Amino acid sequence: MRVIVRSFAAFLRAAVGTMLQYRGEIILWAIWGLINPAVLYAIWSAAAESNVDQTLAGFSRGQFAAYYFCIMIIGHFTTAWDAYELGYLIRSGSLSSQLLRPILPIWSALAANMAYKITTLAFVGPMWALFFWIVRPTFDAAPWQIVLGIVATMLAGLLNFLLGYVVALVSFWSPKLDAVGEAYFGIGMVFGGRFAPLAALPGILYQAAYILPFRWMYAFPAELMMGKIKTPAEALSGLTIQLVWLLGIVFVFRFGWKAAVRHYSAVSG
Amino acid sequence: MPQIEVSALTKTFRVPEREGGLWASVRSVVRRKYKEVRAVEQVSFTVEKGEIVGFLGPNGAGKTTTLKMMSGLLHPTSGACSVMGHFPWRRESTYLRRISMLMGQRSQLSWDLPAMDSFLVHAAVYDLPKRAFQETLDELVTLLDIRDILKKQVRTLSLGERMKCEICVSLLHRPDVLFLDEPTIGVDITMQARIRDFIADYNRRYGATLILTSHYMADVTALCKRIIVIDHGRILFDGLLGDLSARLAPFKVIKIDLDHEADGYDFAALGDVLQRQERKIMLRVPKKSAPAVTDRLLRDLSVLDLTIEDPPIEDVISLAFGRKADEPQPAGVSK
Repeated sequence: MRVIVRSFAAFLRAAVGTMLQYRGEIILWAIWGLINPAVLYAIWSAAAESNVDQTLAGFSRGQFAAYYFCIMIIGHFTTAWDAYELGYLIRSGSLSSQLLRPILPIWSALAANMAYKITTLAFVGPMWALFFWIVRPTFDAAPWQIVLGIVATMLAGLLNFLLGYVVALVSFWSPKLDAVGEAYFGIGMVFGGRFAPLAALPGILYQAAYILPFRWMYAFPAELMMGKIKTPAEALSGLTIQLVWLLGIVFVFRFGWKAAVRHYSAVSG
Repeated sequence: MPQIEVSALTKTFRVPEREGGLWASVRSVVRRKYKEVRAVEQVSFTVEKGEIVGFLGPNGAGKTTTLKMMSGLLHPTSGACSVMGHFPWRRESTYLRRISMLMGQRSQLSWDLPAMDSFLVHAAVYDLPKRAFQETLDELVTLLDIRDILKKQVRTLSLGERMKCEICVSLLHRPDVLFLDEPTIGVDITMQARIRDFIADYNRRYGATLILTSHYMADVTALCKRIIVIDHGRILFDGLLGDLSARLAPFKVIKIDLDHEADGYDFAALGDVLQRQERKIMLRVPKKSAPAVTDRLLRDLSVLDLTIEDPPIEDVISLAFGRKADEPQPAGVSK
């Protein structure tokens, strides 16, 4: 464990160093992360205001603002790109060097992921403040909901990273499968509540959202932080479900990784 | 007890194949054909601690695949391999900490950072004590003469400079077994020589076992007493470099310098004429008939100078690889 902590700290330092070499590119990615929820807020709040009761799926304009403000922040802390990246590492042969190290490559990927979130914080933080000031969200959250919402966001970040990595293991069997990353992102948009709050989804999609893990990555922490999840019991059961998903994905990763590395032979040449 | 034991190691790849053209392309969507390619077939050998063994073979012979199986990157289809008592493909961290694989065409360094940053990551990953890391680093930096480039971004380094940094990072944890896959590829002759000297020195200092593949014969002749020649996934020869020509190409090369031109003389009747330039002739003759041919040349012609040499190692190798796969293998060749 000590070696993992030491290695992770070294990976993190190196990844921050790399990110700082490409400030422009990193800022553009961060802006992309802001545009998406800002546009969706604009669409859904306009739709809500056009209704007679000025709500849509139980959300007023101010609540849409709060929801997408939370989604903007959660989106930043949960972003992960390994569903795309791993296939590239396999195709380019770069994974070989990582596989020869006495530590799993997932640790350096996690460090790179965290480095992005840390290095861009100084840029996206003021953007969030600006968005907040412009849209004036309606928050109905007590301090305990904010605190648990932060915990849920951290778990959501781990969940999305790990699930993306597990999905990316498919690349060991078919490394030119960029569609996997696209599908993962698209499904997460709809069933995670990023495209629209889950309450706005039609019947079967709404039910599917509760079975799939994506809700626990986006909608749940957002609803918790904006005060839509009212009771501590509801919040704790949500956190428990997040933990269960995490453990399940770690379990799948352990077996999936072994099988994937065994198959690596067929494509590494 | 040997440090590396490889027994009947076989690796088969399943690769898709199809005819050329659009129609074949469309057909392959519905019905894909696969072909089994045996990259390595029933390869067996042992390597003692501290040995330097050179793997020779043309492209696609199976050298790198064998190395990758020994390092744990690839799972074999069948056969066994033990390196320092470990089964490489289990990829135990205790094993990976004791080996290193330097791939001339793959980088272990972060291209966007100075090499020193990659060295620090390496020290953490291999859990090197600070003092030991600093001592090894100082030693390697001095030997490789890279102090001035440690702070430069890796992507701004020349190929030779980068290779030296790659070697440095590979050796920071002082591996007991080092797999070198084309370590001098792309670098100029001077740098090749320096890298070779350094590798030989590392072997002497630490008694490390080195397995080397290279297309540059000079790498092999300078570093390896023992070589394993591999082609079509099979071992053609495993033995001392000096015995290679005797086993695979039992020829001698006779070079003569004549007093005057011998226009009508039938050199081809004596052996293969490798070169004929005015009064300089080079003949390749079977080893057994070399004395008789020499005697005849001296009797028939006015010879100013005559030398008898073993054929260059490059020629021996190309003769060996020129032999078709279904031809019988020379005596003494391990299977």
